Amino acid sequence: MANETRIMESPWDLTTYSWKVEADALNLFVKGLKDKKILGRKCTKCGTVYVPGTSYCRKCLIDIDQVVEVRPEGTLDAFTVNVSDIRGNPVEHPFITCTVKFDGSESLVMGTLEGWQDWHDVREGMRIKVVFKDVTTGALADLAYFQLI
Amino acid sequence: MGKRVAIVGYKQTKHSFDNLVSRERMVYELVKSLYSDIGITKDAIDTFILASNDFTDGRTISEVYIVPRIGAYMKDESKVESDGLNAALYAYMRIQSGLYDTALAIGFSMSGSEFRAPMINSYVMDPAYERPRGLINFHSIAALQARVYMEKYGFKERDLAKLTVKDLKNANNNPYAARREQKPTVDSVLGSRPLYAPLHEAHVSAYADGAAAVVLASEEAAKRITDKPLWITGVGHSMDTYYLGDRDLLRMDSLRSAGEQAYRMAGIKSPKREIDLAELHTNFASEEPVFAEALGLFKEGSGKEVVANGDSNVDGKMPVNPSGGPLGANPINAAGLIRLVDVCAQLNGEAGKNQVKGAKTGLAHGQDGPGAQQNVVFIVRREK
Repeated sequence: MANETRIMESPWDLTTYSWKVEADALNLFVKGLKDKKILGRKCTKCGTVYVPGTSYCRKCLIDIDQVVEVRPEGTLDAFTVNVSDIRGNPVEHPFITCTVKFDGSESLVMGTLEGWQDWHDVREGMRIKVVFKDVTTGALADLAYFQLI
Repeated sequence: MGKRVAIVGYKQTKHSFDNLVSRERMVYELVKSLYSDIGITKDAIDTFILASNDFTDGRTISEVYIVPRIGAYMKDESKVESDGLNAALYAYMRIQSGLYDTALAIGFSMSGSEFRAPMINSYVMDPAYERPRGLINFHSIAALQARVYMEKYGFKERDLAKLTVKDLKNANNNPYAARREQKPTVDSVLGSRPLYAPLHEAHVSAYADGAAAVVLASEEAAKRITDKPLWITGVGHSMDTYYLGDRDLLRMDSLRSAGEQAYRMAGIKSPKREIDLAELHTNFASEEPVFAEALGLFKEGSGKEVVANGDSNVDGKMPVNPSGGPLGANPINAAGLIRLVDVCAQLNGEAGKNQVKGAKTGLAHGQDGPGAQQNVVFIVRREK
């Protein structure tokens, strides 16, 4: 019968990749977090500030290395109320995932938002500040969450 | 037929088995120096075509991480999930469409240091008939093909070893190659680790980290950019069946067809006489006589004679892989595009110790899939 189908199980466990990633910009960012600072890089040609920093400016296609510190404050950009976890399963305590634009930076940083009672009251453009972990280790997780001011 | 399309810039990395920097940094440096070499900026490029593969990149939509690194931020870009010569073909077609005047094609991979290429390749096989049995991969398919050729035409293991030595020596003279074999000999090739008889480690291409890029331009744009454009006079491409059992490994119908299309378009009646050199995408040394014959560069079954006379040497009648070919460096997804870059360098007299004297017309070949399932052929010609 031409339209008969059957299931064939076939594993798809490929291999372990050993990705090489540019370390300087990432190192700069996590080093900053360890000192409870937000560090990024500025393009001296077009003035764009990238947080986390990059090694080059995608607009000008030039290397950039000027380090800038931005204040750990900014505005709430976009947010969603997670009533599901990353795999789509319902969660007991909904939480807010958001993007934040630090003052003086063009890029958005992602994290979770605290300091709200009813999410209906949360609005784009609200002011936030960074809350670091008490003990920082130089990891992305040092940035604990964003707190509504 | 159609518009004239030129190659106005080309460049490859110095390939290696353990590149010091990330792929993002590698392509960024390559493309920036290419732009600088030909005196343009990223703004001069209308469309960007990237060749990469989610398998070999270890992440999906694998070109997107590279897009801003080549100056394509906020510009038109597309991807081919295949060998890099397909990217050049795609770029060529886009210029032919009349919608674009200039295009950058780039292929890259970190197949030397970031993953085990044969491991990945085994997942290409058919999940119903081939993969569950775990019997064949790219290497063993090449071994099947090599055996067929050797049996039919009396091509001996020593002949294959001698051909391999030719490629390894050429690679030693190629500053971009990753592989450096100290004094390769027939005995050193035959003494290398056996993999799938008759294939030994020495016959296998050098999976490497590397990238290559070319800039194509319409006739009008080419004149603005360079006073020595190389013209693409013929292209051909063809896809064979996926299932290995339905293919003739010896005849290589898809390569044959791609070659015929390209010759017809370029007005080439006798490839043997009219082509000065060929750069073939051979993942294994044993593919060289099979491919060259399917392309009509040598008489069918003449491998033994070609090797004995040195006909495919740099100074032979029909130099094949004067760069050393992928035996010197095989960054998956870039390998076919590197063939094109090497042909361009030959036509402009830049091939150093491997220079083919007076080369005017060259053939570049790219392929993908086990047993070279899909094939692309470019004919490139220098004007003066």
